[in-house]
Amino acid sequence: MTDSMQTDSVDPGRTLLAVDDLRTTFSIPAGDVKAVRGVSFSLDRGRTLGIVGESGSGKTVLARSIMRLNIGSNVTTTGTATFAGRDVLSLSMSEMQEQWGMEMAMVFQDPVTSLNPLVRVGRQVTEHLRSHLGVSRAEAHKTAVSLLNEVRIPEPEARLKAFPHELSGGMRQRICIAIALACEPTLLFADEPTTALDVTVQHQILNLLGREQRDRDMAMVLVTHDLGVVAGRTDDTLVMYAGKVVEQSPTTSLFASMRHPYSEALLRSLPRTSHASHTRLAAITGRPPDLIDPPSGCAFSPRCPYVQDRCRDEVPPLTTGGSGDDPDHAFACFTPVGSPEGAEAFARNVSDGLPQAVAVDLPTGDQMSAPLPTGNERIV
Amino acid sequence: MVGFVVRRVAALVAVLLAVTGLAFGAMNVLGDPLFNVVGFIASVDCDAVAAGEVDDISGQTAGGRGDCEVIAEARREHHLDRALPIRYGYWLGDIVRGDLGTSFKNEMPVREVIGEKLPKSVLLMVVAQVIAVGLAVPWAVAAAYRAHRPFDRASTVGTFGLVAIPSFALGVILFYLFVVRWQIFSSRYDDTDLWSRLRSMVLPGLTLGLPAAAVYMRLLRTDLLTTLQEDFVLMARAKGMSDQWVMFRHVLRPSLFSLVTVFGLSTAGMIGGSLVVEQIFSIPGLGRALVEAVIRDDFPIVLGGVVVVATGFVVVNFAVDLLYTLIDPRVRADG
Repeated sequence: MTDSMQTDSVDPGRTLLAVDDLRTTFSIPAGDVKAVRGVSFSLDRGRTLGIVGESGSGKTVLARSIMRLNIGSNVTTTGTATFAGRDVLSLSMSEMQEQWGMEMAMVFQDPVTSLNPLVRVGRQVTEHLRSHLGVSRAEAHKTAVSLLNEVRIPEPEARLKAFPHELSGGMRQRICIAIALACEPTLLFADEPTTALDVTVQHQILNLLGREQRDRDMAMVLVTHDLGVVAGRTDDTLVMYAGKVVEQSPTTSLFASMRHPYSEALLRSLPRTSHASHTRLAAITGRPPDLIDPPSGCAFSPRCPYVQDRCRDEVPPLTTGGSGDDPDHAFACFTPVGSPEGAEAFARNVSDGLPQAVAVDLPTGDQMSAPLPTGNERIV
Repeated sequence: MVGFVVRRVAALVAVLLAVTGLAFGAMNVLGDPLFNVVGFIASVDCDAVAAGEVDDISGQTAGGRGDCEVIAEARREHHLDRALPIRYGYWLGDIVRGDLGTSFKNEMPVREVIGEKLPKSVLLMVVAQVIAVGLAVPWAVAAAYRAHRPFDRASTVGTFGLVAIPSFALGVILFYLFVVRWQIFSSRYDDTDLWSRLRSMVLPGLTLGLPAAAVYMRLLRTDLLTTLQEDFVLMARAKGMSDQWVMFRHVLRPSLFSLVTVFGLSTAGMIGGSLVVEQIFSIPGLGRALVEAVIRDDFPIVLGGVVVVATGFVVVNFAVDLLYTLIDPRVRADG
């Protein structure tokens, strides 16, 4: 999305990545799984974008589609992803090999499985340095030591000689980050970088990523299922549901006023330290939709507490709110949260006894009035 | 590591005791060792001879010695007058001293017989395994790159065909084509020098190696496809490493376990030689020698062969276990 937060960023040369109508489909025997169904956004150099959604919302597939890492003959990706002036979706695999690591890098979800268990850490940190930059073994080793220092790994020399299984999960994710940063990419995808880690380590890893992103003036896409992770850490946020963007906004504006019922439900489902203990978690009722045969109309309509008849037939377009709203804050909803239409629809659904509306209306603690998470409040 | 070796040596001893004990017992119970040593005079009733009821000279022994003298000497020499476990003990004692005994038939020391036959079977095994692995690895890699595409599908059919052909059929086909039809190879086993020995091993090596290659290829291909799904492979790709680098540096090694296991088992099997292949290509190897010895009840040769094959089996599998630790550092950590 264009960046309104920074007044001096009108220069189109600042745009690093512009994704337009990206669609990714996996053909499986049961049918075509439409994992990403038309996503558009843009990301400026040195900025951060959070992509949020539950499992199966298409966020990981979206990130991997842009990086061309969905491998297999059954995947088709259409649309464009213009990265530094070139549409990466039309590059050949050998051209992509020059982009990977050098221009775009990725940190994966599970550091335990994303390092080769049979190869010493040192070689995994240096192999692409040597192949991309053609540096000598000694030079690559020196770079690796300074990278490990940078990601706060004690005794880097010893760690480089270790095998991955000799390191802890948090340490391995730091190694993965060092690997991703080694060739100084301009864009880093962090695909649920903390999901597989202990809560105590998650915060450190996110801080490390944030610091590296700022220090290197690198653009970063942070993919997560956790709204609490993007709060205070990203400039902009995309909320995805069923392969589509349902809300797209500068992060501060999003948390100031969530407009899409799905974003609101995601936020409500987070446990808070301010809750009384044993507060029941506010789960989103229903299940994520079938992506082979997505529901007609709004994909969230079967689970939405604000749903109206219109939502079931018509796909709401991604639009901005009225004149009083942030012009960069877009959402795809006919009855947005905080609007008179929304309030009316919700009241009607509660009185009609619609299960998902009644479930929200039940007194399950003070979640509706709880303070919004800031970057400093780590959800536990 | 020391504990590992000690455990392995103990296992080797246990396996050898069990296997030779079983073989020794079976040969003695199912056959008649005395008959095998002295021939038909074994049936002479020496009690009757001693009583003067029967004539001692049956005319089958030379030098005018009495049948019962010969029998008594044979009994003494081979400890046949002792109980079976004690005889086994004598045999073990000889083995420990490095004496495998002599063949009943031609008085040749068993050690010499095995020393002559074993190298040929081992050479055949080596040639066959080199062919099998040399074919299987590139083949599996090529098929895994193109999984479920025409090349891979054709490979599947091809491997099933190779596994399904019995070795005598494959051997005969190769023999017909290369020896009879095109006369590229000679039908005789040529023992003059290493080069001619290797040349003589090409066809038998193919006969043994091709079906093995097919099995290895199937195993390795499946494991390669599994490893290709791993996150660290995606990660290596996301670093911008080339396909070849990813395949050979990241995918191949973690995919070798099934191949190495089956390789070890089949190597051990091939040490004993392959009767069919040795027969078709007239290689005087251990397989043929053993089968002939079993048919003739030539105990010392059979038992010597059993010792060699069992030792080979344990040693090769020990080597395979060491290979695991080389492949995977995590095995080392577990000790």
